[in-house]
Order: sequence, then structure tokens, then C-alpha cells
Amino acid sequence: MLWMSNITNSAKAVIADEDLKYVFLCQKGDVDAFEVLVERHQKKMLNIAYRIMGDYDEACDVTQEAFVSAYKSIKKFKAEAKFSTWLYRIVVNYSKNRLKQLNVLAKHEKISIDDMEANRTDTTWGQAFTSSSNPNTHMERREREAHVQKCISLLDEEYKEVLVLRDIQGFSYEEIRDILKIPDGTVKSRLSRARNALKDCLTKVIGDL
Amino acid sequence: MKECKDIQNNLPLYLDDSLSAADKKSVEEHLKICPQCKKTLSQLRKTEAWVSSLQPVDTPPRFRQEIMAKVREEAEKKSFVQKWFYPLQIKIPVQIFATVCIAVLAVYIYRAGEEPMKEVVPSSAPTPVVEVQKSPLSEHKTRTSTDTKDIQQEYQSKQTGTMQKESVAASLSDAAGDVKPWDAKGIKADKYESAPAMESPGLTAPSLERKKDMNLSGAVMKTSRAPQAQSFVTKPNVLLKVPDIDIAAKEAEKLLRQYEARIVTRQIMPDKILITAQLKNEKVKDFLTRLNKISPIEESVLPVADTEGNVSIVMEILNN
Repeated sequence: MLWMSNITNSAKAVIADEDLKYVFLCQKGDVDAFEVLVERHQKKMLNIAYRIMGDYDEACDVTQEAFVSAYKSIKKFKAEAKFSTWLYRIVVNYSKNRLKQLNVLAKHEKISIDDMEANRTDTTWGQAFTSSSNPNTHMERREREAHVQKCISLLDEEYKEVLVLRDIQGFSYEEIRDILKIPDGTVKSRLSRARNALKDCLTKVIGDL
Repeated sequence: MKECKDIQNNLPLYLDDSLSAADKKSVEEHLKICPQCKKTLSQLRKTEAWVSSLQPVDTPPRFRQEIMAKVREEAEKKSFVQKWFYPLQIKIPVQIFATVCIAVLAVYIYRAGEEPMKEVVPSSAPTPVVEVQKSPLSEHKTRTSTDTKDIQQEYQSKQTGTMQKESVAASLSDAAGDVKPWDAKGIKADKYESAPAMESPGLTAPSLERKKDMNLSGAVMKTSRAPQAQSFVTKPNVLLKVPDIDIAAKEAEKLLRQYEARIVTRQIMPDKILITAQLKNEKVKDFLTRLNKISPIEESVLPVADTEGNVSIVMEILNN
């Protein structure tokens, strides 16, 4: 399947999109074809949601909602962008919206967001990495990763999403621009500030890096 | 110092090798002479290494199945809607469907509202019949064994009496507030109208003639439209055959005036003249005797006098 990008450059680039075959089947009403797409993208979707939100359970819920939403509006997908880009944009938006709701709730209940996020991170690691075989190495690593996740969670929303997509998920600048629908320059400037802010945060939390 | 800040802003992108050639060169030259910026670059590299080494989390067990269960639920909802809205696989735009629905609803509401209007409009218009019906029918209520013909005659005479200007004017002012009783009594009145005397021909013409005489055009128009209008039609009870109907009619009217007849009306038709009048019962015999002298009476079947002793005479004068 070929995907014609009219966003990337003024000159159209032809990029392979292996998802399109299943997307077309879904658009014709084949529900089973959607299962293939879920299978392919569920882990990345969940990780994007998790890194933006910092809460594993919430990330699972948001990912499910994003998939259902994608299925409901799959007929609106016009193959103007890669299907995965379209799908990840949905999960990013769902995560941001859910995070806003949680922050409002947390403020309302006068709970420290910092404490909440630290607790969440702890439980998440407990749930997601229980199969560890070397406790000492993993204790150290777990602690460090908890600090990193905490600092990511403290970043402004616009910095956080760029950092997650670029430094954790490894998307290219073009893909980030398409997912977030922001200009190239904005991606770069936000990423620059996000990395500096994260470095400053980790220096404060851990000490000299 | 200012230069360091600019360089440090560019350092994160320097890591990505996404700076322009000029910026990259200035950063590299600055790093050679600035240990602080060099340290910052080192921290940034470490941070990036830590971030990129973050372990991806796994999906929970049966995550895909749970998602697909929700998706299938959604698909069923969709197909249910499609079954109802696209039964023939013809995709009707929602806008057209909504427009048709609104149009059908509007017609339905309009027609539903029309029925009560039909019922309300006639009864809201005050007619002299309202008053005319009231008095005889209230008497009918009290009677249990009255001959139908008698009731009809009495009704005719009453009716004629109430057609006087004063009583009609009064009825016009009173009728508006009395709609329901009229409806109920009107049904009773219809029973009496089934008598043969009510079915005489020439319904419209006499009614119109009477309208002229009594100068109550509006009221009589309504009366003639209403079912009760049949009660004005009367069967002639005196028949005269004369060579000249105009002269005979004038003489008959003159005679009626002599006998103090009340409510004398004349209806001129193409080949005959119909004169109606009310006479006192005791004067009827003398009147007929004298009338017979003017012109021989062919037929004479006078009705019985009403409670006030009046007899309605309907005289038909024909060409010989």
C-alpha cells in the first residue's frame, strides 16, 4: 500500500503504509481487520499514553478509548497521512485531555500532584516490571527511571509531548510535526526547551549528573 | 555570558545534529573554550541516554481482546442504526431525512389542529337559531306524549314569532355564551324535523324572500346554512287558484290586515305567490269565508292553534 504525503514537503513523497489494506477493509465494515491494526499499534499507543500521563492504569483506559474512537471515525480517515500518525494523534489528544481532567480533580481534592505522580510511578513499575531477575540492578535502574518519569511528568504539556515522541518513541521531526500538527521550527524549539528543562529537573532531583 | 545562553539553547539540537552548518560551527568553536557549556552538553547527553533507555511498558493481558470487545460493541450499534436508516442500502443524507420528518410532522400537526377548528368555528358565531331553538325545545323537554305534528306546528309558530326584529336582536346579543346547551337541544330538534311537513320543496327561495322582508340578511343567511333552517319551510295549508295571482295576493293581504294578522310575509315565485301570516284562532273562520268570496279556496287544512291561540296560515296562490 502506498501513502501519498501532501504534508511532508511541497513535493509529494510516496511512503509505504502497510496499515492501509486493513484500514480499507475496516472502512467497508470488516471489524476483524481492525484487530490487526490494534495488534500492531497497541504497545506504542499504550507507551505514548503512559509517558504523557505517568499512570499505567489511566494509560490503559485512554488507549482503549483512543482505539474505539479511531474505529468510530475510521471512515473519515482519507489516507492523507500515515494511518499510524493519525492513530497516535488520537492517543496524544486523549492523554492530554485525560491529564487535564485528572489535574483538575487533583486540585479540587487538594492532593499534591507531585505525590500523586510519584505514587503512580511506583505502582506502575511494580505492575509492569515484576519479572525482573536481578533485584539490585533493577532497584537502581527503577529508581532512576522513576526520577526521569517524574521529571517528564512535571514538564509543561507542550514540551512533554514533543519529548515523549522524539526521545522515547523515536519519531522523526516530520512525524512529530504531523502528529501534533505544529510547524517544524516549533517542534525543534519545543524539543530544545524540553531537553534543557528535563536536564535541570534531573540535576535538582539526583544531584550532579 | 550571553553567548553561553545562546549556545546552551542550541545544545539540545546539536545532540540531534539538527542545527544549521553555521550554528553547528559556532557551537563547536564555543565548546572548545567554554567548560561550562561543555558540562551542560555532557549533562544533556546523560539525560538523553536515560530517557531513551526508559523501558517500554507491556500491555496488560487480554488488552487487545478488551479493545476489540468494545470495538465490536460499537460496530453493532452502528449496524443497528444502518439497519433502521438504510434498509435498502440507499444512503439517504441525514439532512434530507430530517427535512422529510419535519415536513410530515408539520402536516400531521396542521391536520390535527384543523378538526377542533371545524368544531369551534360554527358554534362561536352567534345565530338567531340559537334563541329560536331554545324556547320550543325547553317545552319539548317537559312534554312526554305530544303528537309530532302538533309539536311541529307549535314550533313553526314560535319560530315565526321570534323572527321579529326585537327578539332576534336580543338573541344575537345573548347567543354567544350559550353554545353547548344549543348543541344538545339542536339534536333534539332534528328529531322533529323528520316530519313530512318539513320536506317541502323550494327551501332556498322562500328563505331568501323572507330575509328581504325582515331586513335581517346576515342572521338569516346563517340560519339557512344551519340544519335547523328546514324548520322555516312550511307546507301551504290554503290553496287558491286565480286568474291573476298579483291581484289576488294584494286582496288576500288586505284581508289579512283587516283581520289583524301578524307577521305577514309574501314570497314571489315564478308561477305562484306564497303568503304566510298568523291569525287569531277565532278570526280564522271569518277570514276564510271572506277569502272564499274573493276567490274560491281549492284546499284548506288549517293547523291547530298554538298555546297563545294563533294559527299559522300559509296561503299558496296559483295561476288558474
